[in-house]
Amino acid sequence: MNDNVHLSVDGVWAIFDRFVAVRDVRFNIRQGELRCLIGPNGAGKSTLLDLICGKVIPAKGNIIYEGKDITRTPEYKRSRLGVGRKFQVPMVFPDLTVEENLAVADNLRARVWSGLGGLWYGENPAERAEVLNTVGLENRRDVKARQLSHGEIQWLEMAMLLVRDSGLLLMDEPTAGMTAEETAKTGEIFSRLKGKHTLIVVEHDMQFVRQIAETVTVLHQGQILAEGDIDSVQNSKEVQRVYLGSVEAENASVD
Amino acid sequence: MTTTGKRTLLGYVAFCGLILVLPFLLRGNSYLLNKSALYMALAMATVALSFTWGYAGILNLGQAVSFGIGAYAMAMHLKLVASAGNPGGLPDFMTWNSVGTLPLVWTPFHSLLVSVILGIGVSVLVSTLIGWFIFRARISGVFVAIITLALLVVVNLVVVTEQGLTAGWNGITNLADVTVGGVDIGSYGFGFYYLVGITLVVVLLLGWYATRTKTGLVLRAINSNTQRARYLGYDVAAYETFAYASSAGVAAIAGMYYAVGNSFASPTFMAVPFSLSIVIWCAVGGRRSLIAAAIGALVVNAIQGALSSDLLDVSNLVIGALFVIIVLFLPEGIVPEIGGAFRRIWTSLVGYSGARPHTPKERMPGQGTSKFTGGQK
Amino acid sequence: MFSFGTLLSGLSIGSILLLVALGLAIIYGTMGVINLAHGDFLMIGAYATWYLQKYWHMGLIATLPVVFIVGCIVGLVVEKTVVRYLYRRPLDTILATWGISILLEEAVNLGAGSNLKYVQLPGMLSGDWVLFGAHVGVYRILIIGIALALLIATSVLFFRTDFGLKVRAVVSNPETAEGHGVNSGLIYAATFAYGSGLAAFAGALVAPIKSVSPTMGIHYIVDAFLVVVVGGVGSLLGLFVSAGIIGEMESIIGFAIDDTTAKVIIFLAVIAIIRFRPQGLFVSKVRQPS
Repeated sequence: MNDNVHLSVDGVWAIFDRFVAVRDVRFNIRQGELRCLIGPNGAGKSTLLDLICGKVIPAKGNIIYEGKDITRTPEYKRSRLGVGRKFQVPMVFPDLTVEENLAVADNLRARVWSGLGGLWYGENPAERAEVLNTVGLENRRDVKARQLSHGEIQWLEMAMLLVRDSGLLLMDEPTAGMTAEETAKTGEIFSRLKGKHTLIVVEHDMQFVRQIAETVTVLHQGQILAEGDIDSVQNSKEVQRVYLGSVEAENASVD
Repeated sequence: MTTTGKRTLLGYVAFCGLILVLPFLLRGNSYLLNKSALYMALAMATVALSFTWGYAGILNLGQAVSFGIGAYAMAMHLKLVASAGNPGGLPDFMTWNSVGTLPLVWTPFHSLLVSVILGIGVSVLVSTLIGWFIFRARISGVFVAIITLALLVVVNLVVVTEQGLTAGWNGITNLADVTVGGVDIGSYGFGFYYLVGITLVVVLLLGWYATRTKTGLVLRAINSNTQRARYLGYDVAAYETFAYASSAGVAAIAGMYYAVGNSFASPTFMAVPFSLSIVIWCAVGGRRSLIAAAIGALVVNAIQGALSSDLLDVSNLVIGALFVIIVLFLPEGIVPEIGGAFRRIWTSLVGYSGARPHTPKERMPGQGTSKFTGGQK
Repeated sequence: MFSFGTLLSGLSIGSILLLVALGLAIIYGTMGVINLAHGDFLMIGAYATWYLQKYWHMGLIATLPVVFIVGCIVGLVVEKTVVRYLYRRPLDTILATWGISILLEEAVNLGAGSNLKYVQLPGMLSGDWVLFGAHVGVYRILIIGIALALLIATSVLFFRTDFGLKVRAVVSNPETAEGHGVNSGLIYAATFAYGSGLAAFAGALVAPIKSVSPTMGIHYIVDAFLVVVVGGVGSLLGLFVSAGIIGEMESIIGFAIDDTTAKVIIFLAVIAIIRFRPQGLFVSKVRQPS
């Protein structure tokens, strides 16, 4: 196996009752890569992320992360190994400040009694500051999370993954609900993140995908329809027939 | 340290200073000193409740259980001391209840040290056990509150019915003074006042510290979004049990002081109205701040104490109405509102307070540190 | 070993618990309100019966519907002045209703005095029947019968009437219900009033067998809460069975050992049940107003 492969998804199937959500999907993602995962609604993109982060155990197939077979590893253990999932619906701590949110997220070694050993503010402050800079929230560190804009909450969520040393970031529609400005800024954040982190980004916003994409994987009805750089994918007749036509029409009317 | 951090610390220092100085302001009046000590004991129990309720989000309606356990533990010891001259060392109420020999449960309480340890220990143990059951079940805050209330009702019932063991309705009265190493700490002097006062100061400072540790932060996170905390892998039940049990320990200490100061322990210390009063004081002062809770307890009790001789009947009505008003209009308590009002006045006088503009309902920490300073908040 | 009398006594205790728990569960299930003053509505019902009997010379049975209405009215007042600002905030309602509870108890204290009052049982109800070889109080049987009737009536009210339909609509989606012309404020008020009326009614029923004091409510409300917790909030059947079990436990253990031990054991049993089935014995999914 290629030494550079960070995540290998090998022939996975996800079946709910009798519904096949993911059908024999296989792909490899290199260390530091930014992979975009697109496809119509119901194509199985979120389910695929569920499989990778551990919310769903595949009926068949394997998932190898950093050379380790994590197919049956429980979600929280994968989280500690570095697989970070950012959900569509942000869930931060609304009554805590941005920095406090980060401090809480940074808990790979936390226990009740050891946690009484010192003021939290003094633990790892430099790392928090660096993460805040990466996501552009360094000026909002003392703001309560409930007062953040929608985009800022999404960035805070990303920051919470970073502070846990997540090597693989699974982003589920990160720009949903963002303004154009916020979307562009998110793209900048991603370009700062890739290389050091591996990202899998599920997205609907094709303009955004164009901005950030290296390799694009297209899912349709649980299977990989096409894979390649953004141009070859958009030019593929298959993809146009099934998906891109309708989506770009949507995006055109939205913009 | 941020501006807010400095402001909070200043508040704590001022409060502690006031406690140390008060006896001189009261001109050494022994009756007032005793009352102040009693109120400070109540404040201690209220501060403990603030830790579980305002920080961890656990509404413990049965704080009186822990308080009462401490009170009775101390009372049992002091009663044995007072009954040393009786035949068999038997407390009077036991003789009245035809109890022949000292029950086994009473025997460890001959020693002051053991009594204190048992008082705190039993309280912490009971809370840990109850907590293990209810927090692991992940039931919602409402049902936690109900269970703690049910616990209180049951404990109160047991204490009241076991007349031979606990003197039932009357409580354990006619206690001796506390003697530590031969020194008599009466409950009406400077000695007792400072004992309670310094304990309260220590509790406040330890509490301040605890709320700023990682564990304290996690408790607030659990209160803010329990699901998310769980998802991050925190053992939520363990943290909640910690908050509940440590609060119980502090409440037990408060109860011990209360028994000494009153020279009796009564089932009313372990009853629903008293327990809910602690909740009221916490809500009135401001449950999200340990010091606000303490102030709430002291102020309400001081006012009640000043009025009670004339207006006994009315005071209950006032308390009930006060409670309803606070919940409806001042849910964060009086102290934070006053603090906010002061800041608004300051801002309008000075033009700017160093804080960012904010919506009126939210409090925002000052902007003193836009660059990371590496200091402690 | 246990006489039929003990078992029946357990059922009658359970019946009272059922009536109180029913009101609590309806109110909590509909608007997310925990009413700590619920026990005081029971107390007010008991006092109303005493008052009607003493000053208006009404018979016990005659007082029942009047007391129900009195309970509804008091509940309505409480709802309109305080509770309606606190929907779906159960922790806040605990505190606010505790304040109301204090007010109600003080008001009764000042109005009627704190000494115990007694309500007479009408002659024809104070006798015994002999069933299965045991002497059973006629009144206790009546209580069981009335409670069952009210349970059925409540069930019909909420599941077969137009009013009940509106309540259920409002519970599941208030905005949509409003959009369909349902006045949710009115529904909430009516539901709260009904629950309170049930509590008062229960108070009237227990008045002859327990002494009447301003603080009599607290034991009933804690027991009723335990019934709701065990039975599950959304299930009438659950409440019915749970009330029966807890009532029987009180009666049997109380007979075999003593009342205090019964309460301790019940409490321990409840927290054990909660630990392993937090949603209650009869609800398969956790369903709470969000």
